[in-house]
Amino acid sequence: MRLEEHPVIDFTRKRGKKVTIYFEGKPIEAYEGEPIAEALHAAGVRVLNFTPKGRPRGLFCAIGKCSSCLMKVNGIPNVRTCITLVEDGMKVERQHGLEPLPRDYKPPKWKDAEKIEADIIIIGGGPAGLMAGVKAAEHGAKVALLDENPILGGQLVKQTHKFFGKREQFAGVRGVKIAEIIAEEAKKKGVDIHLETSAIGIFPNGEGKLVTAVKKNKKLMEFYGKAVIVATGAMEKMIPFENNDLPGVYGAGAIQTLMNTYGIQPGKRVLIVGAGNVGVILAYQLLQAGVEVVAVVEAMPKVGAYFVHAAKIRRLGIPIYTRHTILKAEGKEKVERAVIAQLDDNWKPIPGTEKSYDVDIIALAVGLRPSIELLHQAGAQAIYVRELSGYVVRHDDRLETTIRGIFVAGDSSGIEEATTAMLEGKLAGIAAALFVGKANVKNAMEEMEKVRKDLDEFRSGPFGQRTRIGEEKVMIK
Amino acid sequence: MKNKVDIAIIGGGIIGLYTAYELAKRGVENIAIYEKKYTGSGSTFRCGTGIRQQFGDGANIKMMKRSVEKWSNIGEEINFPQLKMEKTGYLFLLYSEEEVDRYKKNVALQNSHGVPSRIITPEEAREIVSGLDISEVIAASWNPTDGKADPFLAVHGLVRVLKKMGVEINEYTEVKEIKVKDGAVEGVKTDKGKVKADIVLNAANAWAKILNEKLGVKIPIEPYKHQGIVTEPLKIGEIKPMVVSFRHGGAYLTQESNGGVIGGIALKYGPTWDITPTYDFMREVAKNFSRIIPALKYITIIRQWGGYYAETPDHNAAIGKIEEIEGYYLAAGFSGHGFMLAPAVAEGMADLITKGSSTLPLEFYDPYRFQRGELREQAIQMG
Repeated sequence: MRLEEHPVIDFTRKRGKKVTIYFEGKPIEAYEGEPIAEALHAAGVRVLNFTPKGRPRGLFCAIGKCSSCLMKVNGIPNVRTCITLVEDGMKVERQHGLEPLPRDYKPPKWKDAEKIEADIIIIGGGPAGLMAGVKAAEHGAKVALLDENPILGGQLVKQTHKFFGKREQFAGVRGVKIAEIIAEEAKKKGVDIHLETSAIGIFPNGEGKLVTAVKKNKKLMEFYGKAVIVATGAMEKMIPFENNDLPGVYGAGAIQTLMNTYGIQPGKRVLIVGAGNVGVILAYQLLQAGVEVVAVVEAMPKVGAYFVHAAKIRRLGIPIYTRHTILKAEGKEKVERAVIAQLDDNWKPIPGTEKSYDVDIIALAVGLRPSIELLHQAGAQAIYVRELSGYVVRHDDRLETTIRGIFVAGDSSGIEEATTAMLEGKLAGIAAALFVGKANVKNAMEEMEKVRKDLDEFRSGPFGQRTRIGEEKVMIK
Repeated sequence: MKNKVDIAIIGGGIIGLYTAYELAKRGVENIAIYEKKYTGSGSTFRCGTGIRQQFGDGANIKMMKRSVEKWSNIGEEINFPQLKMEKTGYLFLLYSEEEVDRYKKNVALQNSHGVPSRIITPEEAREIVSGLDISEVIAASWNPTDGKADPFLAVHGLVRVLKKMGVEINEYTEVKEIKVKDGAVEGVKTDKGKVKADIVLNAANAWAKILNEKLGVKIPIEPYKHQGIVTEPLKIGEIKPMVVSFRHGGAYLTQESNGGVIGGIALKYGPTWDITPTYDFMREVAKNFSRIIPALKYITIIRQWGGYYAETPDHNAAIGKIEEIEGYYLAAGFSGHGFMLAPAVAEGMADLITKGSSTLPLEFYDPYRFQRGELREQAIQMG
């Protein structure tokens, strides 16, 4: 079902032209500019494929990272339908286990790759990547930016809440608006932007770098530059419980993508797992979209979110159960029920405390892990840092990794949030402009120092403690 | 780690492990393997998994015929039935009369050794692999008794049985030097201490020459970077045999047991110790694979890796006794064929060590042939 009314966003104005796609031969209404899986969800389709063991699978991350949404599109198997846009007349089919080769005997015509040249290549158009682009361009570098999603802004595009912090860090502005502002800024500064373009590798190229990519699943692209900034963000974590792969068990980000980016109601009744900022903000956003939230469960003894966020949802009558966890999802082909239970001091469920909820969505807000695949492929040294939520690459105080000329910024350098991602983006952008010899040294050094101060300030206090410990571990001195 | 063994084997790849197994089977008790990383980590786990008898010379055909017999039974023999050779065949696509003539001769030779290979029509080839573009294929060389095996299972199974048989496997133990006294091996010096041994087998493949050179033994084995790729998984059975096309950059490809398409092309770099994957390789694989099987243009490559072909000048291994040093044996320089040849080499080597001779044609791989200028005809090599 689509949202016709929303307190923050007017989706009726935002939607593109109406088109028709065919799901298992049946026509389905969709709008230009929306991805296949999201359009199917609006039409009530939850099961996107069946695993080789016959288990139904649906959407999970909605940003192209988890491969839970693979379907056959126009006869081509394994298409990431959550980031592939609908086209009029498109034929979409569920996959059943492993797919055969398409029956196509026509030898392909090989076209040479499209070549893009710039000083700096940025992978990822979220808050970190965009800000890096703005700053690098401001300091005189020619920048090309690629992102595999169809829209710029990364996870900002689904943040309908207002940000905290300083005015220059967009305090009081909604995330969606911030995305528009910095995307506009990047375009104005001449950043060459390539959407629906997946980076597939970073290779040395003489003194410089080559980033290879594929546009819209078919066109080979080569981005030549002297430096690369990797700002590939993060992906949602999964926790183990019975039937955690049942369609309707969604990452928190996927639910935000559905309702806040594309104006699609994710479900009717939701149980949220995880009472960090993401979990409780999600609860509020679900209410805005007219969805009932039955409860938020949190395994830790206390709520992790900022007090203001948690207080707000409590005022609206949503219970937060700390020391509780989800035991299982139930349902045939999609979520129909969730069973939760209280935990004892050893994190074991206490028998007899089980509660069952009739819900159609279970939202997992159990943390993120950095997406460092490309950095790893490029050979950057990575270490496991618990405080930064996973494997992260080592970097110096200019965010340069162990590979000269490859920089990292945002969640891919360790999980934090959008404000620090923008600050890290600034830092990496200036540092890279300096690296490629375009920036004025004095100006660059001064501004980097200022950004570092802002970062330190933002990370000071109890909420920044984990990051500070983590940063200490990854920093090359 | 024992400080004295009867036989010290350097290298925990398929050659070292399989030879240890054959030796233990013959009653040799005190065997130890030294591997500088983990078993299989050198070339075995990076290989293309193929096992074929379609070679162009009698020695390799004989050796591979024996290897296939052994690959067919090893799983049962070591009570590890998951390990089995899949006899899905090798299909060489031929695009010119000249190629067909050469393969007809090869097939005649292979047939004379009892290998049931034959030249088939393009249509027959397409019956075997339905996705082939046969518009320019004029014939194919096909042997249904060739095939493939899983290198991970092979190493795992062998390690398991070797431990039961009492063979000492030392991982993360690098042999730095082979100790020689009065013209005979005395033992090995590792980074974890010295070990006395009467017999030392150098099965370090790409790294073999480093140890040889320290002893003044000059046998030309050089490391070349080759690469491989695997795609997202497809329905099992889509590409059963190993498909080879020299027309398409020396491409070889097949489907592994999980459904991914595994393979490579003949783009090599070296000699070099660098094994970083290259973009040129990825692009050329994409281009050439989709010319052989057009529908592969829709399929995504999910992994790419590099590894060594330990190459000799004629692309045939160097196997045998090192004359200058009593008790020193070499089985290295497999030039991309180590995995498939391993069972026969192991049998031959075990016989050579325990009985002084083997009925297998090991003399073909005589390490001194290079010195004498008696290079073999280059072995049919792909990748």
